[in-house]
Amino acid sequence: MDNDLTLAPLGRSGWTAGAAALLRAVARDPWFITLLILAVPALYWTASGTTPVAVERLWYWWPALMRGLGMNVQISLLAMTLGTMLGLVVGAISLSPLAPLRALTRAYVLAFRNAPILVLVYFTTYVFPFEVPVAGWVLPFPDWIKVVIGLALPASANVAEIFRGAVQSIPAAQWEAAHSLGFARTQIFRMVILPQCLRRMLAPWMNLYASITMSTALASLVGVHDLVDTATVASNTVARTDFTILIYFTLLALFFAYCYPISRLTRYLERRHARH
Amino acid sequence: MTESLLEGWVAFARPFGLNYAFVLDAGERVAFVRGLWVTLQLCAASIPVSLVFGVLIAAGLTSGRAWLTRPLTALVELTRNTPTLVQLYCAFLVLNMLISQKLEGGNPITPFMWVVLVVALHKAVFHAEALRAGIEAVPGVTLEAARSLAFSRGEILWRVQLPLALRFALPALVNNLVDLVKMTAIASAIAVGDVTYESIMIWSQRDNVLELLLLILLYFGLLTWVVSVAGRWLENRLRMPGYGQ
Amino acid sequence: MPDTDSLVRLSNVHLAFGDTPVLNGIDISVRRGEAVSIIGPSGSGKSTILRCITGLLRPQQGGIRVGDVDVQALRRERDLIALRKRVGFVFQQYNLFPHMSVLENLVAAPIKVGGVPRARALARAHALLARVHMEHKAGAYPGELSGGQQQRVAIARALALEPELMLFDEVTSALDPEMVGEVLTVIRDLVSDGLTCVLVTHEMRFAEEVSDTVYFTEAGRIVESGPPAQLFGAPRNERTGAFLQRAAGGVPARRRSDPFDSLFSFDPLRLAV
Repeated sequence: MDNDLTLAPLGRSGWTAGAAALLRAVARDPWFITLLILAVPALYWTASGTTPVAVERLWYWWPALMRGLGMNVQISLLAMTLGTMLGLVVGAISLSPLAPLRALTRAYVLAFRNAPILVLVYFTTYVFPFEVPVAGWVLPFPDWIKVVIGLALPASANVAEIFRGAVQSIPAAQWEAAHSLGFARTQIFRMVILPQCLRRMLAPWMNLYASITMSTALASLVGVHDLVDTATVASNTVARTDFTILIYFTLLALFFAYCYPISRLTRYLERRHARH
Repeated sequence: MTESLLEGWVAFARPFGLNYAFVLDAGERVAFVRGLWVTLQLCAASIPVSLVFGVLIAAGLTSGRAWLTRPLTALVELTRNTPTLVQLYCAFLVLNMLISQKLEGGNPITPFMWVVLVVALHKAVFHAEALRAGIEAVPGVTLEAARSLAFSRGEILWRVQLPLALRFALPALVNNLVDLVKMTAIASAIAVGDVTYESIMIWSQRDNVLELLLLILLYFGLLTWVVSVAGRWLENRLRMPGYGQ
Repeated sequence: MPDTDSLVRLSNVHLAFGDTPVLNGIDISVRRGEAVSIIGPSGSGKSTILRCITGLLRPQQGGIRVGDVDVQALRRERDLIALRKRVGFVFQQYNLFPHMSVLENLVAAPIKVGGVPRARALARAHALLARVHMEHKAGAYPGELSGGQQQRVAIARALALEPELMLFDEVTSALDPEMVGEVLTVIRDLVSDGLTCVLVTHEMRFAEEVSDTVYFTEAGRIVESGPPAQLFGAPRNERTGAFLQRAAGGVPARRRSDPFDSLFSFDPLRLAV
């Protein structure tokens, strides 16, 4: 593919040939081209001082938008961390030899995978109190943490399924071989199964992270000041049609800029795993 | 008779701390039932539209013609990597507004239609990925056999590639449809009267959030269960006996 | 040989996959009603020759005629389709459609491609299944059949369009040994019914038994061709002899003067494929 930056073999003018190849590859890269397309009018406007009003307002609101994006990222990272920890526990229980435990985890996974995420977010936001009395102190329970919990629950159900799927994809022959060498069940898990599972889980887990990040947009519906909420506020404040169009498509672009690299990385990891 | 059933329900729930009194108020009850019906309509409309778009996008992606695959791939990547809510806002707050301005009142596209369009298109992209993987999983030798039997390209697609791709992709497609059912809840963000929206209206008056959320969860659980059962029935009907042994 | 006699004629065909030459000047002629076998080591281009005849592959150079049709000149898909209705192809991997039953596999092409009414297609399908001794499995699915059964159904499927020419591409190479015989029996019956057949095969004894002409290819060229008694019994070219020795497991080929000797002198257990 043209995007590969390969060094040309060292010849007479070895490194200049390599530099030329590098420049050619960069010039053909779609990201670079997009940057150019954005940079050219930006430079023109700054130089001539004729920036359109909408763009000027966008520039004014940019720090607030970035803060909003930071809130989304913060929620997604925390929700994913909590969800992963909880999900691994549930996943481990789902592989238990005891049938009632397995049934319990199946119910857990079923409940959280069949519930709309929006409903779960409403649930945690409105049902949890907005203050928590702990040991004499009264801690505020901010909305965004409630959203974190609301997203961590379905994330944990998905992580549990990913974990279970990865473990069950290890061929039975490896269990048999390990058993025949005298290993106990937990030892087999630790030394044989888990190391292989982690590699198989990576791509679906990253997919899940991208999906959770996109779900953080729902936080705007429960009053959290995230990127979408900031954009709505800005659009209502400026109250210009062209600004509204610009800011909503900027929203799209910002989420895309965050999630698309994750998706590319995930596909790269999937291909690398497929070769094993 | 329904009155006494409902009163029985309210009385039953009260000891648990659950306040279902809203069902006794005719106005709110009707609004809630209407919300149930609108959600059902959203699902019933979005599912076929998403499947049709999914097949079209998949056919375009596997056509091998660059003027089709490049813009479609861009569309797929854009839709997969942006939140549905933001897509809905862009469609409704921006596109709809522009259309209304151009047509100066008399915009035929209702908010309901926008929700169906955005949700169906979002899921169509996932359907297309699943179908494309299915199409590429059809063994090349089977296609060669079809060509040697004098089938045309179109007939090979319709009679060999798509039936086999559908069978390979069916579990993923059913999963996508379950997600689609859940996604219809975002209709509440643009004030389309689905069950989530009507519930918000009710609980903002009566403050019985938990009770309503439980009902919503039960309802969506029912809808997703119906889709899963239908999916499993279809899988059984399309099963190829002896395949994969 | 006058052209009107030959059903298939390849003249100086050259084909390369990218930079790799596969066919380096192939000349083959098949008369109507004749059975021709092509033998040779793997990679000598035998399967490629068959695919060129039916237009699945296009050579860079050379002429291919099937009947009075110049295959190289065909440009439109519907012309290729018309050609493929006249040429039946049976693959090494059977390639039955797994989502259709045996009967549906057989009637799909006649109905969709040949425009045959359903009743007639079904009647012909049943007759063909009886001919390949698979009548009792008409409602089964390919996944439920053994390799030999699937291959016999594949032969019946290729016959369903009533082709003038049948091409067999190493049709027994993927089968377990005990199923090879049932497929060869079917082919033997077709040949004795007078159907024009071209076989690419490793089954030397069978090739010797049913063919009218045998071609030996190596490295994309025809090294030798002739009646089986001559090619197997007294090969003119030393490379032919070397190949036959290797194929027979290292036993030197004896000179044979009696044509009937060839039927009894090959020990089946020594034929390595």
